[in-house]
Amino acid sequence: MESHNNVELLEAARALVTALEADDSQQAQLHLASLTQSQESELFHEVGTLTRELHESLNNFNVDPRLVDLAEHDIPDTRERLNYVISTTEEAAHKTLGLIDETLPLSDSLKDTAQKIEESWHRFRMREMGVDEFRSLSEEIESYLANVKLHADQIHDNLSEMTLAQGFQDLTGQVIRQVITLVGEVEDNLVELVKIAGKHQTGTQKDGKEVDLIKAEGPQINKDKPNVVNNQDEVDDLLSSLGF
Amino acid sequence: MKILIVDDFSTMRRIIKNLLRDLGFNNTTEADDGLTALPILKAGGIDFLVTDWNMPGMQGIDLLKTVRADEALSSMPVLMVTAETKREQIIEAAQAGVNGYIVKPFTAATLKDKIDKIFERIDAS
Repeated sequence: MESHNNVELLEAARALVTALEADDSQQAQLHLASLTQSQESELFHEVGTLTRELHESLNNFNVDPRLVDLAEHDIPDTRERLNYVISTTEEAAHKTLGLIDETLPLSDSLKDTAQKIEESWHRFRMREMGVDEFRSLSEEIESYLANVKLHADQIHDNLSEMTLAQGFQDLTGQVIRQVITLVGEVEDNLVELVKIAGKHQTGTQKDGKEVDLIKAEGPQINKDKPNVVNNQDEVDDLLSSLGF
Repeated sequence: MKILIVDDFSTMRRIIKNLLRDLGFNNTTEADDGLTALPILKAGGIDFLVTDWNMPGMQGIDLLKTVRADEALSSMPVLMVTAETKREQIIEAAQAGVNGYIVKPFTAATLKDKIDKIFERIDAS
């Protein structure tokens, strides 16, 4: 198509030169007009193609108004959701740790008193105990039994509360699932965008991008990656191979 | 023995603090990233540093390098407790002079083991 056009242009140009050399201004004007016209029509053709492509691209953008919605509402919303996950898990961990702090002294005190009574009881069985001391031991045992009940009730309540605190997993799990769905949707839309934009930019992949191998990534979700260790033993093996 | 615990998550700081308390280390203080940890370290009185890697502000690996480059702090034992598990990262930490590397989630026994080993090496040298 292009070479055909070139041949035509060349012929018209030669005819123009011939006419000018022959001092035939009328013919020269005619050839000049035909040359300009052919250039103009090509320009119009190009502008037409570009306009049509632009129109199609804009139409494609409009096909999915969800993309605009995603950018305007869902992404900021997701940031909030993820912050919610952080604060909820933090709260649950503190609640559990607080309950543990409250429960440990209860079990410690039960153990300590039991140990003390056991020693006295042993002396009683060995007939090493006087009547007054035995009376005091009886009182001690009586008060201990009441305490066991009281502390056991408290420990039971604390454990129940710890169980309840684990509800964060359900709540945050649901939110994370929503985020996963949203990320999938964003990905699909981005793929569509790349398809539209990529029509004119094929073969311009960026290979030269440098990868920072020690960049912090947080917990590895995919444990099968070859450069990732899966447990403390593998860390220890790697470090000892380095002379650690 | 005063220990500085550096982690951006307060829950993890609390877990480490509680585990250290069970191991008999009652004197601990906390910071939430490298930038807040450095002034505490430079003020003196810290004998042992436990740090996470992935933190906003200054990351644990940069805190480690800064500590090693500081004349007054260079011999400070540093234990890294982190979810970062790439081989390149562990090698980087080792080359930067970390004394121990624990991956999360970890157990109380692992923490005790690594701390014992660090002090064994210090006592031996």
